[in-house]
Amino acid sequence: MISFSDIKREARFLVRQRHIAFLMILSFALSVFAVWSGIAETRAQSATIERLLEKNDVDRQGVLAKQKNYGGAAYYSFHLTYAQPSSLAFAAMGQRDVFPWKHRIRMLALEGQIYETDADNPELSLQGRFDFAFLAVVLLPLFIILLLHDLRSGERAAGRYDLLVVTAANERKLWLSRAIVLCSSLAVAVLVPFLIGAAISGASLQGILFFTLLVLAHIAFWMLLSLYIGKLKSLSALSSAQLASVLLAFWLSFAVLIPVGSDTIIDEVVESPSGGQIVLTQREAVNDAWDLPFSATWDEFLKTHPEWADKTNMNSQFEWKWYYAFQQAGDQKAANLSTAYREATQKKDALAGWVALLSPPMLTQRLMTSIAETDIQAMTAYEQCIRDYHASLREYYYPLLFNDVEFSVDQLKWVPEYSSAICDNT
Amino acid sequence: MQKDMLVASSLCVSFAQHKVLDNVSFEVAEGEVFALLGGNGAGKSTALKAFIGAVAPSDGDAQVMGMSVTKDIKKIRSKVAYLPESVMLYGHLTGVENIKYFLSLAEISKSQSEIEEALSRVALQPEAWNSQLSNYSKGMRQKTAIALALLRDAPVLFLDEPTSGLDPSAIDEFNQLITTLSADGTTVFMVSHDVYGACQVAHRIGLLDSGKIVGMFEREGDAHIDTEAVHSAFSNRGQA
Repeated sequence: MISFSDIKREARFLVRQRHIAFLMILSFALSVFAVWSGIAETRAQSATIERLLEKNDVDRQGVLAKQKNYGGAAYYSFHLTYAQPSSLAFAAMGQRDVFPWKHRIRMLALEGQIYETDADNPELSLQGRFDFAFLAVVLLPLFIILLLHDLRSGERAAGRYDLLVVTAANERKLWLSRAIVLCSSLAVAVLVPFLIGAAISGASLQGILFFTLLVLAHIAFWMLLSLYIGKLKSLSALSSAQLASVLLAFWLSFAVLIPVGSDTIIDEVVESPSGGQIVLTQREAVNDAWDLPFSATWDEFLKTHPEWADKTNMNSQFEWKWYYAFQQAGDQKAANLSTAYREATQKKDALAGWVALLSPPMLTQRLMTSIAETDIQAMTAYEQCIRDYHASLREYYYPLLFNDVEFSVDQLKWVPEYSSAICDNT
Repeated sequence: MQKDMLVASSLCVSFAQHKVLDNVSFEVAEGEVFALLGGNGAGKSTALKAFIGAVAPSDGDAQVMGMSVTKDIKKIRSKVAYLPESVMLYGHLTGVENIKYFLSLAEISKSQSEIEEALSRVALQPEAWNSQLSNYSKGMRQKTAIALALLRDAPVLFLDEPTSGLDPSAIDEFNQLITTLSADGTTVFMVSHDVYGACQVAHRIGLLDSGKIVGMFEREGDAHIDTEAVHSAFSNRGQA
């Protein structure tokens, strides 16, 4: 069992080594930068949402004041939906860099509005972000390897190894206490900026605790792996540089090859329609409706809204209720593709979850984004929020349109408003 | 009758297919200074390392104070002090700090005055005690390591080429120190290729060649071992 005096002895010994002090300062500086840039990004996102909310209100009031019917009011009104960054999102941006976290939607066909950004250049999202999770998952193992790869081999090369092991009352305690002191110092250097950032962001104690434990567990994994590799008799003849190469091979496998390889394989194995296909299908259905007989639209619409079967009479070539009915029909046409897309996303995520059991960095990353609510689940939940909100708009407007209610601007005060609270409750 | 502190019984050590020690047997009594002489690659450092558990016997056994290196290496290490050939302590610490660090590793508590007394005993200049080891000469580092060995109060002392790199006066001081330690009951096992130095200080000398003991020389009374005889055997080894 490691005693306090072992830790104290090694701490006093290691604190005098300049290269270790330099690495700790570098880790601290990188952590400060990662936390600062994460907080700056989440604040920018929150500020964008606030600004858009303000402008959205002004814009909608201006638009509605000019309307003379509910169809026009629904057509010209934009509604801002958004997913506020959680208080820990600054530490792990996760899927917020890939999935949109804000949409301005109208009461038109929805699926195209949700997936139109799926056609964005995917290479932009590959660049990744230097956030705290990246530091903890990708860079931290490298620092640990740098600190521990020559724990024994460095002493061998310096000619002190035999003297150390013959002198030490307990050889295992010597290496373990050294490794613990080095890794604890690294943990402090990296976690202090995170804890300050979490306090500034108002993160919950539970979230902070889970995040901290994850970082410590990840450090412990790389520490034990480095100690194990350094202890192997079959590798004892290797130089420090060769041992570092062995450990780097593990890092490359765990932090790069498994995540990237599995992502490629999962994408190949799990078939999924693209967002572009969904957008195209929905838009084609909507555009075709203009050229089809009214009955084609009504037949499709009434499959999901039979309560309006008696209200499909048309008094002119264009009526708003028909217009929104074929928008609805467009969504219904794309529904299977949209469901397949979401199911494929869930399946890919589930498979990635299994693969993560083979890769501690990948597992750490997934758990971090889960705690920070920036994972696939959080972002698909936001998409569902948009659908639910859009459904509430239809529920509000359909009775006004199909019952031919006389237009009143006052009535528009009751148009459902999106709020992140609605999303949280779903 | 003095008890045997060190026993090598048909000790063999092999690295890959190469037999470095081949059926080596000897005993070292309490308070005895035993020197193992041999040329480069004879296997003398390997023999020493077998006693401190740094290399594992492939056959036979090495025992320290009745304990086998294959079974009781932890206990053995608490009873021995080791002075490597090239003493490389920590350059970023001072001499005193190095000693304190290694004593702490050994879980031995010594006062500042005891440490200073040991450093005086090995004749390390007091002005060097608190300067960084990176500024020390090889002889000064050697003295620091000897002081550390003394402070461990170990009944058995293993020395690997202890006088290599020391100036003549330091060698004399060192030999005097070993003689005193031996008189106080410390068993000393040293390996060296310095025939003259070994004859000055050792009670017995074993001559090692290609992993085998090829000669054994012993003091007669108070006289040193005959340097000429050892030197002659040393020069003619392998020609028999």
